[in-house]
Amino acid sequence: MLRETEVAGQLGLGDAQDYLDRLIRELNGMDSHKKLPLVLVLEYLSRHIRVTRQEIGALRPDGRRSLGTTADELEEIVAETAKAANAIMSAAEAIEGIAAGLPQPASGALIDAVTRIYEASAFQDITGQRITKALQALQGIENRIETLAKACEAIAGPAEMPAPAGDAALLNGPQLGRAAYTQGDIDALFESLGNGP
Amino acid sequence: MSLNKSMRVLIVDDYSTMLRILRNLLRQLDINAVDEANNGEEALSMLKTKPFDLIISDWNMAPMTGLELLRSVRGDSQLKRLPFIMVTAESKTENVITAKQAGVSNYIVKPFNAETLRAKIASVFGVQ
Repeated sequence: MLRETEVAGQLGLGDAQDYLDRLIRELNGMDSHKKLPLVLVLEYLSRHIRVTRQEIGALRPDGRRSLGTTADELEEIVAETAKAANAIMSAAEAIEGIAAGLPQPASGALIDAVTRIYEASAFQDITGQRITKALQALQGIENRIETLAKACEAIAGPAEMPAPAGDAALLNGPQLGRAAYTQGDIDALFESLGNGP
Repeated sequence: MSLNKSMRVLIVDDYSTMLRILRNLLRQLDINAVDEANNGEEALSMLKTKPFDLIISDWNMAPMTGLELLRSVRGDSQLKRLPFIMVTAESKTENVITAKQAGVSNYIVKPFNAETLRAKIASVFGVQ
């Protein structure tokens, strides 16, 4: 029979589940019809602990759709919008340069429009700050999940979403900058595939 | 009286886009003596080596936030009277109160327009 000290000590959720499973086995070995309701309750508890550990394990940020990947995507948004905003402003600066040499009222109208472009370009700063806040929140959630997973001795469970198959597996959206192919890479790959279909 | 076009302005922001916007809008006001810093620490070091007439700074930056920069400026006997405009997305009442208590000259909330920037600069210097 299990010793009292095994229960009284500091048990993790994994230890608790092992303990329950052993207890169930020992009870099943006993010859008493009164054991049945107790075994059923203990089996329910054991199953519940296993499912909980699996669910928490599935939340860990090392899965296919991990929080880490989401954070990378958000960082990429900040970088891409900064590039776009700078490109827009370069074009606006060029227009402003040309407008300065034009007669009125065309010059004034163009410069007013350029000013509005400069003002609107602040979207990048605002969205960037909001995304940074979201990133910090994600980081906080990731840390809490990791702490929870350790505390619960999480085990690998079924992935939250099944991996896409067939054509659906080809739909991954824009690639992150550091992983993305350049047009040169694509051309080289395309060439390497030969002329056939 | 109108704005002094030859004023030397230090703009401080960790977003290069915002620095560029500020520089362009200041240029449209004919203010061309503009230097840039990416955070408070960088700004403070520039302030100690070069004279400026106005600081336009973001709040949320690292290392050294705009508020910390403001407090450093106000705590420095050489710089304490330098006009300081906070341009930030931080727009809670407590932000404005804290900045005001720290000695900010004026406060602009992002996103802002060119006229707001002009009006706040003019207000700080007591001109139209």
